[in-house]
Amino acid sequence: MKTVKITIMKNNLFKVAFLATAAVFISCEDDDPQAVNEEEVITTVEYKLVNSADPNDEVTFTSTDNDGEGPNAPVLNVSGPLTAGATYTGTVEFLNELETPVEDITEEVLEEADEHEVFYVVNTADVSIAKTDTDDDGNPLGLDTTVTVGTAGAGTLTVVLRHEPNKPNDGSLTDAGGETDVEVTFSVTVQ
Amino acid sequence: MFQKYLWLLLLCSATLLAQDNPCEYRLHGKVIDFHDAQPLALAQIYVYQLQRTFTTNDSGEYAIDDLCAGEYRLRVSHLDCDVKEFTIVINRDTKKDFLLEHHVDELDQIQVTADVHDDHESTQSSTRISKETIESYSGATLGDALNSVAGVSALKTGNSVVKPVIHGLHSSRVVLVNDGLRQQDQEWGVEHAPNIDVNTASSIEVIKGANALRYGGDAIGGTIVISPERILVKDTLMGKVILNGQSNGRGGSVSSTFSKYRDSGWYQRGTFTYKRLGDYEAPDYVLSNTGSELGAVNVATGFKKFEYGFNINYSFYQTELGILRASHIGNASDLVRSINSGQPTVIRPFTYEVNEPKQAVVHHGLRLDGYRRIAGLGKLELDYSLQFNNRQEFDIRRGENSGRASLDIDLLTQTASAFLNIDRYENTDLEVGIDGMFQINKPDASTGVRRLIPDYNSYRIGAFASWMHQPSDQWILDAGLRYDRFTIDAQKFYIQSRWEDLGYDEQFPDFEVSETGNQILTNPQLDYNLLAFTMGAKHIFNDHYDVAINLSSANRAPNASELFSDGLHHALATIELGQLDLKQERSYKLNTTFHVNKNQLDVEVNPYFNHITDFIQLIPTGIETTTRGAFPVWQYQQLDARLLGVDVSYSYDFISKKIEELSRDDLLVTIKKIARLDGHASYIYGDDLTGDQPLIDMPPAQFTNRLTWYQLGLKNFSAFVSNQTVLAQNRFPDNDYIVTVPADNGQFEDALVRISQPPSAFSLWDVGVDYAFAKAKLALTVSNVFNTRYRNYLNRQRFYADEIGTNIQLQFIYNL
Repeated sequence: MKTVKITIMKNNLFKVAFLATAAVFISCEDDDPQAVNEEEVITTVEYKLVNSADPNDEVTFTSTDNDGEGPNAPVLNVSGPLTAGATYTGTVEFLNELETPVEDITEEVLEEADEHEVFYVVNTADVSIAKTDTDDDGNPLGLDTTVTVGTAGAGTLTVVLRHEPNKPNDGSLTDAGGETDVEVTFSVTVQ
Repeated sequence: MFQKYLWLLLLCSATLLAQDNPCEYRLHGKVIDFHDAQPLALAQIYVYQLQRTFTTNDSGEYAIDDLCAGEYRLRVSHLDCDVKEFTIVINRDTKKDFLLEHHVDELDQIQVTADVHDDHESTQSSTRISKETIESYSGATLGDALNSVAGVSALKTGNSVVKPVIHGLHSSRVVLVNDGLRQQDQEWGVEHAPNIDVNTASSIEVIKGANALRYGGDAIGGTIVISPERILVKDTLMGKVILNGQSNGRGGSVSSTFSKYRDSGWYQRGTFTYKRLGDYEAPDYVLSNTGSELGAVNVATGFKKFEYGFNINYSFYQTELGILRASHIGNASDLVRSINSGQPTVIRPFTYEVNEPKQAVVHHGLRLDGYRRIAGLGKLELDYSLQFNNRQEFDIRRGENSGRASLDIDLLTQTASAFLNIDRYENTDLEVGIDGMFQINKPDASTGVRRLIPDYNSYRIGAFASWMHQPSDQWILDAGLRYDRFTIDAQKFYIQSRWEDLGYDEQFPDFEVSETGNQILTNPQLDYNLLAFTMGAKHIFNDHYDVAINLSSANRAPNASELFSDGLHHALATIELGQLDLKQERSYKLNTTFHVNKNQLDVEVNPYFNHITDFIQLIPTGIETTTRGAFPVWQYQQLDARLLGVDVSYSYDFISKKIEELSRDDLLVTIKKIARLDGHASYIYGDDLTGDQPLIDMPPAQFTNRLTWYQLGLKNFSAFVSNQTVLAQNRFPDNDYIVTVPADNGQFEDALVRISQPPSAFSLWDVGVDYAFAKAKLALTVSNVFNTRYRNYLNRQRFYADEIGTNIQLQFIYNL
């Protein structure tokens, strides 16, 4: 007898509960979500060198990563070799090509020059890169550079952009600290 | 050292016990609140035959000595409780606990039986944290308070984000129930602390298994039930203020609780808490940007009668907390630099200011519930709750984005449930229930950062039944069953290359909706059928020994993070990927509890075994290169896991004193504990059976011992010294990887990123004194007395900085 009673109660209870739950489950309007374009991703790094003596001697190092944090690695492109014995004027650009129009992140870096610094690391014995621009405090920034090329050879060039590094620093990555926003490595040939 | 001493005393007391004199029997035990198992101080036990009244001490303990064999009639009373009478036969030393009920309505009206170890009234392994302990953590976090329980560790991100780990498991595997409400505060995140003000808790119960089926069947680690103060049905106004100041962080907290109860059954209650801390300090440096601010309000009103009642409760919690500046890094090379430097890369002067990176969280909870007793059946309870949680995380951003949140998620949860507790059978208790949950997760699209967790709606409908039977005073049997159906309906943008790289374009073409730029909108709809059960038996051999065994099985559906994560994790420089085809995780946990309570010694040993199939865990799967450099990729994958462990806790009152005083016509007899040694230890051995290696992030072996001296010199003055020792975790999977770091000389170095090696062992000493006077208590505590430098394996920031140094805390509690 008792068991029967419980079953009946349970049935009623389930009904009540079901109604209560159903009342709560008022579905909300289903708006399709909007895609978010990463606003801070740097997809493209372009380091352009122009021979100070010969404006036609242009060498461009480009790294493009069109899927940002996606699985594809950046595509690297070096337009040609550097000329031995030449001096180049270098400018670096950081772009976000995921946005339309393309966002020029270099401008932001320039605006917040005191919070950024670009570093160039080369392991080709005879290539040296000097930063020619400074931030408001007179510390090196690194968007503009002078590249002095010696004898023929080959090696690599790494461009590193650091956010909130220690400034001033001794010019080394270790001393600068901060967080890495860009770190791309190109191969360099001098002939 | 301690152990030797303990054994010696144990031997001595055993020999004492062997003596058998006809008129020297002792009746002792505790008077406990039936409702929440809290000991009742100042309860009076009147023995008719002796015409004497005995009073319980602060721990609710009493002792009546020099009894002859025979039958005694006792009248047990307490200020707020109904008077109960008991008859007891004495023919040897006897331990008897008496249960009193504060509120008549939940009481089986016929009879309250005296029971041994009421705090273990079921077969599950559970531990309660007392009100006093909770009060001492007023200025800390809920996670810190829980860390005081054997088998519970704290998973930290710095010092402000503290999550409980039960038997090695945390986050979605631990269910938090606050005042009857299952907390829904984006608990899937390892860096998301529970949004609960510890000051609203009067009692916290930690259930180390999936036994609390009422609250869900997915508690693979365990359930934490936080209960507010019991409701009294009498005219009274109660209040409490706790002021807290601390040297480390140079701040403090204030919390006050007021309750108004009436004879008519109406009541109102409110708790208000505010806390502000600046940067914490490690022994050698300031932990820059670790300040925090917290505000919480909890108000409740209701009506309570025996037959029916209702309760409306609203809670609000808001916090802003800084994340160690040095832990925000760009890529794996930065991580190598941080690990190798041995100290944070950013150290600034102390400040109260909190900058990015930081978290800002708001949680609102509204709960309505009502009950009605049905004569001859039991109690029917209906519950509705609404929770709104907003979490914002701020990273260090550039240009016009600085100060803008990188993550901003709204989570709205509604639940409705009905429970029926059938208590009409004398030795059997039945509970059945049904509940439903509807959840909307909405990340803000205007952050300018791709959503970490997508938009989703989820639905859960579940039903459970549980049964508890006491065939005799010596046995308790229980069992339960729960079924849930869980559906998650998400709308997520994947980067097209990622969608294809994971093979989803072939596996889940049905989910594809549309393409925008290099992203693809998908609509994953996933269903899970979840079954949980528990069964157990407990045998009470006699007043001193009992043993319980419990088997529980839980099913947990993968959470949104495990399914959908895809992106860069700044604190660890990893790319974390979810997996859409994850199955539910299933655990089989066997818990055993051995309990001895003899003389002044109370020991509990809890060995357990947990076998988890399809355990979801992040596994390193490779390295990916982006413009930022190289990152290790970790993906949520499933493996079989086995956890073996043991918790031990003990307390030993090695000196106590009997105080007799004449009051009116009665002789009042109380036993006062003078010195107590207590502590707990836990050890866990976790294995990844699939990968044949140790499980990651298992809490290392640890033990805590505390010596407390009461009545030191002055009455109401006590002092303690405690030690916590955590050994190094020697069992860990080797997930180190090599990254190529550009060196300053232009060359490249292959650097090993040592993320696997746990930190060394450490031992910390705390001392404290407290003095109670009138209605107030003043407590001074010094933690980490020797300013020990250490790092904790379960702190996500162990790669960047040491833990905090010495902290002097002054606390003032005033009871109205």
